[in-house]
Amino acid sequence: MLSIKDLHASIEGKEILKGINLEIRAGEVHAIMGPNGSGKSTLSQVLAGNEAFAVTSGEVTLNGENLLELETEERAREGIFLAFQYPVEIPGVSNLQFLRTSVNAMRTHRGEKEMNAAEFMKLAKEVSRQVDLDPAFLKRGVNEGFSGGEKKRNELMQALLLQPKLAILDETDSGLDIDALKVVADGVNALRAEDRAIMMVTHYQRLLNHIVPDYVHVLAGGRIIKSGGRELALELEEKGYGWLGIKEDAAEAAN
Amino acid sequence: MKQAPTLSAAFLHPAGSSLPEPLLALRKERGTALVDMPLPTRKTENWKYSSKYLKLSDEMAISLPAQGKTGSSLAVPGYKVVFRNGIMIPEASDYPDLDGIMISRFGDLSDATAADLAAKLDGTLNRNTVQLAGLNSARFEDGLLISLSPNAVMDQPLFIIHEVDADASGSAFPRVFVEAARHSQFTLVEEYISAGSEPVMVNTVTEFVLADSAQVTSIRLNTEGENVQHIGATGVRQQRNSRFASHCVGFGGPLRRHDLQVRLEGEGAECKLNGVVVTQGKQHYDNHTTIEHVAAHCNSEETYRNIAADQSHAVFNGRIHIHQDAQKSNANMNNKNLLLSTGAEIDTKPELEIYADDVKCAHGATIGQLDEASLFYLVSRGISRRQANVLLTMAFINELVQQIPVEAVRDTATKRLNQFFDSTFEEA
Repeated sequence: MLSIKDLHASIEGKEILKGINLEIRAGEVHAIMGPNGSGKSTLSQVLAGNEAFAVTSGEVTLNGENLLELETEERAREGIFLAFQYPVEIPGVSNLQFLRTSVNAMRTHRGEKEMNAAEFMKLAKEVSRQVDLDPAFLKRGVNEGFSGGEKKRNELMQALLLQPKLAILDETDSGLDIDALKVVADGVNALRAEDRAIMMVTHYQRLLNHIVPDYVHVLAGGRIIKSGGRELALELEEKGYGWLGIKEDAAEAAN
Repeated sequence: MKQAPTLSAAFLHPAGSSLPEPLLALRKERGTALVDMPLPTRKTENWKYSSKYLKLSDEMAISLPAQGKTGSSLAVPGYKVVFRNGIMIPEASDYPDLDGIMISRFGDLSDATAADLAAKLDGTLNRNTVQLAGLNSARFEDGLLISLSPNAVMDQPLFIIHEVDADASGSAFPRVFVEAARHSQFTLVEEYISAGSEPVMVNTVTEFVLADSAQVTSIRLNTEGENVQHIGATGVRQQRNSRFASHCVGFGGPLRRHDLQVRLEGEGAECKLNGVVVTQGKQHYDNHTTIEHVAAHCNSEETYRNIAADQSHAVFNGRIHIHQDAQKSNANMNNKNLLLSTGAEIDTKPELEIYADDVKCAHGATIGQLDEASLFYLVSRGISRRQANVLLTMAFINELVQQIPVEAVRDTATKRLNQFFDSTFEEA
């Protein structure tokens, strides 16, 4: 489904990704782990199409289509979804209006009829309950005044509404207490499907106790330095990143 | 030394009019006072950013006749009065006789009532600062007097549709005076619209006098065309415990100037002033507001938003003056501005003058662009760039639009805003 070959990307002239290679097939869950500053979030942002990052070389295809030639909104319509690490607050745009505009943009792209306000309200209420978010949040401004956990659940709610082909979850577990973590994990597990791939970016392996990945990759200094099965995550938990010859602060310095 | 330009004498000849004698006398007196009035230049402090848009030709000095037809864009749900080129058109107006409420065109007033009115006209405005809008008092040919008796409540808003329509250059001078006696309640919607393409000036003054505990809402919607230079002033005086709310929505033009002056003269009086301005192309819009806290224990809350696209230019000047005896004043002024292009200009100036020592005053002004992170967030959900721009721009003013208490005005404003978005943000 997603194929990344020798991807290099930089921001303000500084190279962050230094040759990423990754293959993700439909139905798989991949965990990308690594110390702070290793390029995990950059990889997520580049895949979603954030223009602040310049792709200097390499290739990314989604089901054979060149992803890098697509605008951000086109990537989303082709099925890329990024759950942001730090979702922005947009006062003045109601969450409901935002979500319906988004869902209808996707439906229009697929040649389906737009959902009217009543139909959408019904769907949105169902999905908000699935992520344990009070439907009252639908009436608030997008993420406005939401706690960290509420923002993460709002991101997950969008993933469930938009039903992407590839869901990229950037540190979706960070800042969550254990109950919220379970809610989010249940939501992610509900996303798992034969025709969908999930890429989870995480610093800690605790999320992986709830969502069992098929593959684990260690990203450091802008490269994937080790890949393995779920046991790799446990090994990292036990030994830390030092075992792989990297230090957290050294990784920062490498950037 | 170069002579400062003065208002051409041609502008000081009022058209023959059927006004009652006391109002004709007032007009004459005001006209005399304006002989040799210097025209604002960029050295005139309160016209600094706007004087270059003022282009008065002698052809524009002529009073436009009460003819033509434009048709309001508002589906008027309440009572309606139509002014055409500054003159009331009874056959186009529609309102019933209401208990305790007098609505009368100036031309129909008795000499006694007219004399009483003449003594009050301009009483809400500082004629030194409204300058050009002061010309209205020398030139008005008609006007509307709305007088509410104590406890009178108008059950629906009154709409005044100020149309200007001309096949030649000229000027119109609509005038409105509202007296709200104690405990009366009233909502006035004034819509300024135009037809035609010849350069014209609309010079307008509306005044509100609120007695104790009166509650008045003023809604002002300006959608005049590219041929209209609009110079308007609104004056308000408030007595004890009265409430005044103003909602101004303005779309730009070659020259748009509105001075809003509020005096809080009785303890416990409150005013709320909201304003939304949208400009595009080479349009201009200038709002100057003044709130005078004269009495103690008064509250004022002011929120203005400007959005400027293309090479347009918006100006906001908000002055709050807390007089020495106005202890326990509570004044809040907020002005936010959104630039949609690098060629657009917004000038904002909050001014606080405080002479009392126990007051709460806050003011803030910001100028910014659409937030890139918010745009990225929206497009990453499949929303088009154009729609993301529209959502974020609307978000900037939506709160103020939603606060307008008359649905028909919200609908018209929204329709005009959508036209603005259509021409400002390209389809991908």
